[in-house]
Amino acid sequence: MKTRTMKSVLVLAAALSLSSSLAAPFVWPAAWSADPASSAKKGGNYNNFTISDYKTINPFTSAEADSIPGTWLGGTAGLFQQDPTNDGFVPFMAESMPVVSNSGKRFVVKIRQGMKFSDGQAITADDWVTTFKIHTDDKVGSNSYDSFFINDKPITVKKINEYTLQFDFPQSSATAYPTMSYTPWPDHVFGKAYSAGGAEGVKKLWGLNVNPSEVVSPGAWTLQSYSAGQRAVLKRNTYWGEWNKDSAGAALPYLDTVTLKIVKDQNAALASYLAGELDVYAPRNADDLAQITKANSSGSLKSTLLPNVSPAATSQWITFNWNKADSPFKQKLFRDVRFRRAMSMIANRDAMVQLALGGLGVPTYYSVYPVFKNYISDSAPKYPYNLAGASALLAQLGFTKKGSDGYLVNAQGQKLEFTMSTNSGNTVREQLGRIFADEAKKVGVKVNFTPIDFNVLVGQLTAKGESRPFDAILLGLSGGDNIWPFGVNVVPCGTNLHSYNNPTKGGCLTSQEQLMTKLFYQGDSTVDQAARQKIGIQLLNTEAALQPVIFLVGGSYHVAYNNRLGGQYPRNLMDSYYGSRNVVTTFIK
Amino acid sequence: MVTFLFRRLLNLIPTFFLATVLVFVVIQLAPGDFLTPARLNPGISAQQLQNLADSFGLNKPFVEQYFQWLWNMLHGNMGLSFSYTQPVLDVAWPRVLNSMKLVLVYLVLFYAISVPLGVYGAVKQYSLGDRISGVFFYFLLGFPSFFIALLTIFGVLKLRQATGWNIPIIGMTSDGYDQLSLLGKFWDTLKHLIIPGLVLALGSVAGFTRVLRGQMLENLRSDYIRTARSKGVPEFSVIYKHTLRNAMIPFVAGIGGLLPGLITGAGFVEVVFAYPGITPMLLDALGAQDFYLIAAFAILPMIFLFLGNAISDILLAVVDPRIRFN
Repeated sequence: MKTRTMKSVLVLAAALSLSSSLAAPFVWPAAWSADPASSAKKGGNYNNFTISDYKTINPFTSAEADSIPGTWLGGTAGLFQQDPTNDGFVPFMAESMPVVSNSGKRFVVKIRQGMKFSDGQAITADDWVTTFKIHTDDKVGSNSYDSFFINDKPITVKKINEYTLQFDFPQSSATAYPTMSYTPWPDHVFGKAYSAGGAEGVKKLWGLNVNPSEVVSPGAWTLQSYSAGQRAVLKRNTYWGEWNKDSAGAALPYLDTVTLKIVKDQNAALASYLAGELDVYAPRNADDLAQITKANSSGSLKSTLLPNVSPAATSQWITFNWNKADSPFKQKLFRDVRFRRAMSMIANRDAMVQLALGGLGVPTYYSVYPVFKNYISDSAPKYPYNLAGASALLAQLGFTKKGSDGYLVNAQGQKLEFTMSTNSGNTVREQLGRIFADEAKKVGVKVNFTPIDFNVLVGQLTAKGESRPFDAILLGLSGGDNIWPFGVNVVPCGTNLHSYNNPTKGGCLTSQEQLMTKLFYQGDSTVDQAARQKIGIQLLNTEAALQPVIFLVGGSYHVAYNNRLGGQYPRNLMDSYYGSRNVVTTFIK
Repeated sequence: MVTFLFRRLLNLIPTFFLATVLVFVVIQLAPGDFLTPARLNPGISAQQLQNLADSFGLNKPFVEQYFQWLWNMLHGNMGLSFSYTQPVLDVAWPRVLNSMKLVLVYLVLFYAISVPLGVYGAVKQYSLGDRISGVFFYFLLGFPSFFIALLTIFGVLKLRQATGWNIPIIGMTSDGYDQLSLLGKFWDTLKHLIIPGLVLALGSVAGFTRVLRGQMLENLRSDYIRTARSKGVPEFSVIYKHTLRNAMIPFVAGIGGLLPGLITGAGFVEVVFAYPGITPMLLDALGAQDFYLIAAFAILPMIFLFLGNAISDILLAVVDPRIRFN
């Protein structure tokens, strides 16, 4: 209560001092939109969708990638935002770039003045501090918990005055800007609940049955209504428009409302898009593209279809288990880099793209998704499809002759055979696995390919110990960013998804793993983009030479939107990372 | 009567406990847990996984989790849904209400169709109408309801394209529902309910109609009907007051089974019509291994079944003069 009155007094003071000239708004650059700001129209409703129902409106308990608080209410509020034209960060809710001191570990940020939540209360330093406090309380179980720690050491956020924040990082960090760009949630809602009821008090707030008028948003949208399993409707937050203008000076967003329809699956979403009920859709495969093309050419739908905009930010790979104390033969085999290079040469990636992805994809050789071009180096070793080369490498391992059944055996009579699993029901992975097994058979390697239950598979993959319960697993990962595109849970030894080598004590086995672990943390703490990219490329080279995981193929990202929409990104800015549009600059023609 | 009901209740206690053990063990037997997908996130730390497991109580021994759950349940607390981080009942209640609307429309349509048809079949036995309706509804009985639903959607789509009528097919309300008047809201929802309700009703009419027809035929040939007719009781009264009332007795015993149906929803028909009922939510919960949400929906229908059976017993006593609980 005290802070609130304090806050209003200060707001009043600030308002008085600024009465002649309001703080400068954030102007959305004209380069971020394919249409000039002068052509934009105000009003209208934008129809988007989500697969499977929303789980909560509470930003601290929300865990989904696509959520109302994360994507919509808070997605347009943060101190800095990434510029899709050059991947750099620009001040957004911050007035200017921060003052950096203490060898890159201290950031002092001035907050843009005059910003308000959707209930009209001023957004001030307290909101950032409280939000930070709640995210880092382990009893809350917030999904953002990890982002406030670097190597288990916490970041601190301090209020200098109503409009100045000080961030102290335990070490310099590549992700300092995205870390500081978390959404500030209202102190007068969550801070109050937190001091009254602790973590439980916060968790109780803003469930799906919340009265929409109680939801307070710092971003471009606020909740208008939600009906379970059907739709959520968001409306424009006019207070946001006071500090967000287009390049012609008009308040953003243009749209009145955004309707998010909850559809059960992608097929239902496609059907709605074809019927003109949804304004956007992300086609998955050749079949989707064909159906949209057909509807467009028959005239029943007027929409724009952009196939193969960029590679998708996903990977598909095979990992071999180095911890097989129960089978010394296989353990020795899987730990031999020549074996893994041979396996990469067996993978017929072109056939995989053609057969499993319908021609819409690219072969991949590295852990970095091809969409993050800055971190891909063509000098890194590749082991493309080459059956003769694979046979030669396997011969070096002692597999020179084939047995009566056509499979390679060594001098001790041990057959070259292993089991490979993937999650059943994923048709793309099942096809990838079958293509791999067929090619392997040609050189005399017996691959017993078995799709199994997803949860069992993940249990095997993340098992720790000297004897882990699998030979090889074919799986995929997604997620990550173009700032430092290596997974904190993947590259360092002993982490959960360091899938090829995960002994009880979690140590590295090879010098390359040690080097990769070192480079990972080095890159993670390098603020300078160019220097970081250099480290990234060195890491990529080391990884490619070691081939701990055999990368196969990646899908493509396609864009489809109804022609009644304007204000999407120019074509050269669209990709699977930035997407195809900012909804705040989207308008109905 | 009271002692009878009390005895029933005592019988229920061991059944209830056995059922809770069974439900708990069966769900636990499935591999993995709610956090399995999170383990595949390249950005999540071990510490965070630990925090989540602690806050969901997934680290505790199995037996401790069971007794904690049972203890909470006996105090009316069905636990917290992992994915919604809200009490299970708060999360599920709006969906249950939606399902109830659909099930009520279905039941009304079901009885409105099957009772007259059953009576007609018995009164006009072997007539052309009797034969046609018999063949038709047996045919429908042979299809799973979600398949009839798909065929219906296809048919309605064609009809919409041919006529331009805006017949709602999926969902429970139209866009812009919030702006409608109270009456408008009612009408809008009803429009969305009729087709799935009809699909459910038509698919299951056959069984009830044939049994009712058989019961009616048996009663129509009995002595008391002949007596009634010879007394000069009007035919309508003979059929509906005397015969139908007696023919219905076996069905009253089955009413207990309807009560859990009210909250368990209409199954896959809800999924096909993208209806925001309880089934789609349960399927999501099963997929995500949202333990307490699944458990609640295994336990609640059971409790409702107990209650329903008790109500059936009471109703039987009212309808059937031969039953006395002494």
